[in-house]
Amino acid sequence: MMINDIGEARIRVPDQIRRGDLITVNAIVSHPMDTGFFRTAEGDPIPAYFIKDVVVTYGNQEVARFEWTSGISRDPVVSFTLKADKEAPLTMVWSDNKGASFKQSVNISFISA
Amino acid sequence: MTERRAFFRSCALALTGLLTSRTERLLAVTGLDAGPEDPEVPNQEVARILKQLFGDRPIRRGHVQLDMPIVAEDGRVVPVIIESDLPMTDDRYVKGIHLIVDHNPDPHLAAFHLTPAIGSVSVSTRIKMKRTTWVRAILETSNGEVWAGYARVLVTLNGCG
Repeated sequence: MMINDIGEARIRVPDQIRRGDLITVNAIVSHPMDTGFFRTAEGDPIPAYFIKDVVVTYGNQEVARFEWTSGISRDPVVSFTLKADKEAPLTMVWSDNKGASFKQSVNISFISA
Repeated sequence: MTERRAFFRSCALALTGLLTSRTERLLAVTGLDAGPEDPEVPNQEVARILKQLFGDRPIRRGHVQLDMPIVAEDGRVVPVIIESDLPMTDDRYVKGIHLIVDHNPDPHLAAFHLTPAIGSVSVSTRIKMKRTTWVRAILETSNGEVWAGYARVLVTLNGCG
């Protein structure tokens, strides 16, 4: 998975989902996650710059919310499960400490049985 | 040249042996008063975080599987998997996971707030670690129980600066 621009994000869910399945959701967002402890080669401090909040919404329901620090690795990945009980979009919004937020969605739809 | 390499290797092996036996001894000692392998609270910062999150509730070991490498060669990218067998039903569920890395500059590394819609507790990510330390994954249930899993990770390259 090649990701370059800050805030570019992907969410991966299984190809074939049946109603009621417990699925695994994998997500990645491109972000430097700078701690504020490092300096450039020229000696200038690199200010802290990181994703601090992630909200996961399924349909119109908030199903999870993550609070992060710069201790999460660069280009943060996260995976979690989801009870696929309705056909609805799964949306994630990542917000960083400089006030920017990045959104990605994937549709949860069921294969016809 | 070959002899020298062999010499270094035997030194490394001896060192590994020393470290292992020392860790085991430390574990054995702490095991006496802190329950089986429960890591001691290392500093005021971690004590403050635990107090703030869980108050005076007992933090019991169990129901949490914290999977991390025994040795992390690159402290910038250390995989973490947190799983639990606790139920995720509407009337009883895990409402939060707190990830605490004892000797990181900001020990309370992440919090994962969950709802029953998640279906199970199985969260993974990748974290930074400054040095060899205990990592705590502490779960809070909707009815106020607190459960913990611990992992000690050897870090060879500082990932925090």
